[in-house]
Amino acid sequence: MKVTLTATQVMNVMKDVVTSTHPAPTDEGDLGDRIVPRDLRQFLARLRLLGGVPFSYLVPDSQLLPPESIRFFYLDRAWTDALVQGALSVGTVNSSDRAQLEQLYPAIRDEIDEEERIVRVPGSEGARVGRAGQVTGFLLRSRAVSGWPGLHVRAYRSDVVGDDEMVDEGHPDRLKLLRLERLAPAVLLALFDGVPAVVHIEEPRQGVQFGVRLDSAGGANTFRAFVPARSASTGRDLEPQRDMRVHFRAGAPGVIDMRKTAEEFLNTPGTNMGSALDGAEFALQMIRFPYRQVFGDPSVTAPQPIDAVFRPTVAYTLKNLEVRFSEVIR
Amino acid sequence: MPQPGHFRLHGRAQPPLVAGDYVIEGDQSIPEEPSARFDSYRGHLRVTAPRFRLPPDHILSTFPPANSEGAYETRLPQIVLRRRTLPWERSTDPEVPWLALVVIAEGEGELSAEKKVEDCVTPGVTLTGPNDVATGVHLTVTESVVKKIFPTKDDLPLLTHVREVDIHDTELAMGDDDGFMAVVLANRLPQFDRVECKPIRYLACLINLEGQYDVLPPPSEPVDRFIATEFVYDAALALEQYQIDPDLAQMGVGHVAQLQQMQRSGGATRARQAGSAADTSSVRAGLQKGSYAGASQPKTMQQWQLATQTVENVAVTAPSGEASRLVRDAMKVGFRFPIEGFTYERVFRFPVLTHWSFTVTGAGGFETLMRNLDVGLLGTLPAPREDAARPPCADPPAGAAPPPTAIARPEPELAETGHVGLPHLTRRGEQIRAWYRGPLTPHVMVRDRDPETEDGRTPLAHTSDQLRRVVPDGREDLSLAAAFEIGRLLALSHPSIVAALMRWRREQFGAARAKKIVELAAGSVALLKDAVHDVGVTADLGRLLGRSVILASAKDPEHVLAPVRPLKDPARPIEFLVNRDIDEVLSVGFGIPLKTLHTMRERMDASVLSEVPVPVSPKGPEMAIDRDALQHALAERVNAIATDVLRGQKDVITHRSTAKTRKRSEPEPDALDELLDVAARRRREEIEG
Repeated sequence: MKVTLTATQVMNVMKDVVTSTHPAPTDEGDLGDRIVPRDLRQFLARLRLLGGVPFSYLVPDSQLLPPESIRFFYLDRAWTDALVQGALSVGTVNSSDRAQLEQLYPAIRDEIDEEERIVRVPGSEGARVGRAGQVTGFLLRSRAVSGWPGLHVRAYRSDVVGDDEMVDEGHPDRLKLLRLERLAPAVLLALFDGVPAVVHIEEPRQGVQFGVRLDSAGGANTFRAFVPARSASTGRDLEPQRDMRVHFRAGAPGVIDMRKTAEEFLNTPGTNMGSALDGAEFALQMIRFPYRQVFGDPSVTAPQPIDAVFRPTVAYTLKNLEVRFSEVIR
Repeated sequence: MPQPGHFRLHGRAQPPLVAGDYVIEGDQSIPEEPSARFDSYRGHLRVTAPRFRLPPDHILSTFPPANSEGAYETRLPQIVLRRRTLPWERSTDPEVPWLALVVIAEGEGELSAEKKVEDCVTPGVTLTGPNDVATGVHLTVTESVVKKIFPTKDDLPLLTHVREVDIHDTELAMGDDDGFMAVVLANRLPQFDRVECKPIRYLACLINLEGQYDVLPPPSEPVDRFIATEFVYDAALALEQYQIDPDLAQMGVGHVAQLQQMQRSGGATRARQAGSAADTSSVRAGLQKGSYAGASQPKTMQQWQLATQTVENVAVTAPSGEASRLVRDAMKVGFRFPIEGFTYERVFRFPVLTHWSFTVTGAGGFETLMRNLDVGLLGTLPAPREDAARPPCADPPAGAAPPPTAIARPEPELAETGHVGLPHLTRRGEQIRAWYRGPLTPHVMVRDRDPETEDGRTPLAHTSDQLRRVVPDGREDLSLAAAFEIGRLLALSHPSIVAALMRWRREQFGAARAKKIVELAAGSVALLKDAVHDVGVTADLGRLLGRSVILASAKDPEHVLAPVRPLKDPARPIEFLVNRDIDEVLSVGFGIPLKTLHTMRERMDASVLSEVPVPVSPKGPEMAIDRDALQHALAERVNAIATDVLRGQKDVITHRSTAKTRKRSEPEPDALDELLDVAARRRREEIEG
């Protein structure tokens, strides 16, 4: 067979080839063809979210995270970039490798930006795409972390959500959690994709619990307890809230005197419980719902400005000094 | 059934029959036939219910979870039972459940080893009727403990209820089969040990009250507040003094005999026991132990941690068949003081259906913990507080040794930017201080903030030293260098990652070489050079190039390779047919006048052809010869056909008879058939005649 090929034809084809093909299709990941192989990309993205980084590198001094404290922070991207660069340096042997990695690095960086958003994708949530933005988070060191495994953590971009409301994962104001992990039995690390205005931490909703609210009653180690009254006909708390005192047996700390407490329950107007109390009615009054702590509610001002804590000793370029979190108790 | 997320509460669920043996008697008589006699029916029926041991599958959940630690001060312990009628299945009074959940702290009671069920109740009480198991465990408590912490008989109905949920609600139903479950609450809020400031282990026991309702305390004078440090009972105090080994006591040997003797002879023990029993409201101060609690704290703390640890170890290591028994056994640690051996109070035994332990490690509950959190940005030192970490505990008694103070640590050197000054041992051995800041900062950080580059992006570093910076105060900032180094170490610690990096490097290197070759080869062609330059590094360019050339050729082969051959070729043109009228060709070819052809086409009738004379060729000598030969040949041919037909007719006869059904498909005999028949008849006559 006789084939005629002209130089122009060959050149055109080669130009097409060279310009149209994606370089190095190395894998079929869910992000499609990328320069960095998928396993490496996933490792580097986890590294970006501080996976495996020793705790002393995160908190260099234990006094920065004392017991029973919560510390909010911004993630320093330059630091995590340096972390990734260190990991990449393992793969270079000679100067030509290094020169090549230098050329490739901007593309690698962009790819890991994309990848870090899909490291944690819970079932119903769709992953956000696009370039990485500001990452924030908090470290919580408390007995609440060890005693209540499975705390619910939610962050919102703006304080539109009522403090008692439930919001599903897809809410537009809800920030995506990039990472939520217990680093130690009593230390919880959370990373958010964005800067939250409000953070909710909620007791896990495991089953139904019964109990009281304790209140200091003057003297040392002396306590009173009460429960907010509920109506037996509707099951809702009374409006306005009416507290019913819980009575105790003398000489036995924490042992409830049921007879007197039952009397108190029956005598509280609005509880609609008839003349005698039964187990169901007692249980109804004692049910305690999961507690939710709200951080950052702007309606409450911080008692102490956080700036006051800092002592400037180093001159450092700061383009944007922004303090968003403040001590708040709902 | 309530919808998911909702539940309904019922006061109680009455079993149709309480547990026990029944006799069914049946008699029948017919009034019309008084003389007729029928045998009476007598059947035995046994209604069973757990009595001394609760099968594990009856328990749906417990709160606090078994072997857990937490601040549970504001929550009532509870157990959820699968069978909704269980708490009333052995009740004598249908209103009052026979089950109670009591919560005792370490030292307040003794949990026995497996014993015969007859020994599991207070001596003197006998439980009639069938038992579910042969051996069980019991709780031994003194009268004062019963008075203080056990529920009264009137409390029991209030502490038990039935919950109805949707069975599809995983959160509430927890895998129950009918959506009804019985809940038994305890009447005691477990408290943190504020005297010694240490966690307390509690044991929650589901006890059987059958036959012992009268032991329960009478209603007492209520108070509206409680003092968390009030003393209930502690068998451990006596134990500490005499070093009683619970195991030896159990076996009835060793110190117990001595101890009992000492107790009988009166003396210090008795006085002290009596004292603590009489003065029930006395605060359990450290004095009772003779030393300040703080000093003994490490020891008690260790004990508690040891107990929790032991349970965990047992849970992990025990063989699966015995795991539940061994774990329950391990949970008894701390509840094995042989109370009956040394107390002079009345002692009661209650059968324990199931038990679990938990530890209260802090004051308050979740709410208290969250409210008291120290909130701040990272880089904030804790606000000065009196005692933020420790729950408020009792003051040390006067005269006791001062509590051990924590070793003072120097405050960290903290900069406003979040940097921390840390000791730095340089490579030359100098001990200096350097700044370090982790990835978590108190300020918004700009990602690309390198002042030396145009876009602010830090150029790729190849060693950590490239990232060392000197800040204006003259000290080094090692934050990024440390980050680089830990990143490198983390990558090196994963062999698979190192392998992946090396593999990637090889691929990249191959691609670069391919690119170089293309560049060299196409050096003279400006077009290709640009193209290669635009794309940058490509891996495996050669393979791609080859594949793409083939693909591109296949897409447009006419231009790249050659014109395509058509699917069919036209035949060669016939010369005399080209450019001539078809009628004329017919007229010349068949010798039909042109006019006849036209008429035929006009009428659409071929009959006109019969009038056309057949052209006869001019006579000639050679033609005559031909005619004879032709005549002969024709005759021969006709004969042959006729013979064939004759031969064939035999077939045809049989053929027709068999093929009647196919008649329709066979053509009607036409003129040719007739001719053939005639020829065949003639031929047959010829042959026969």
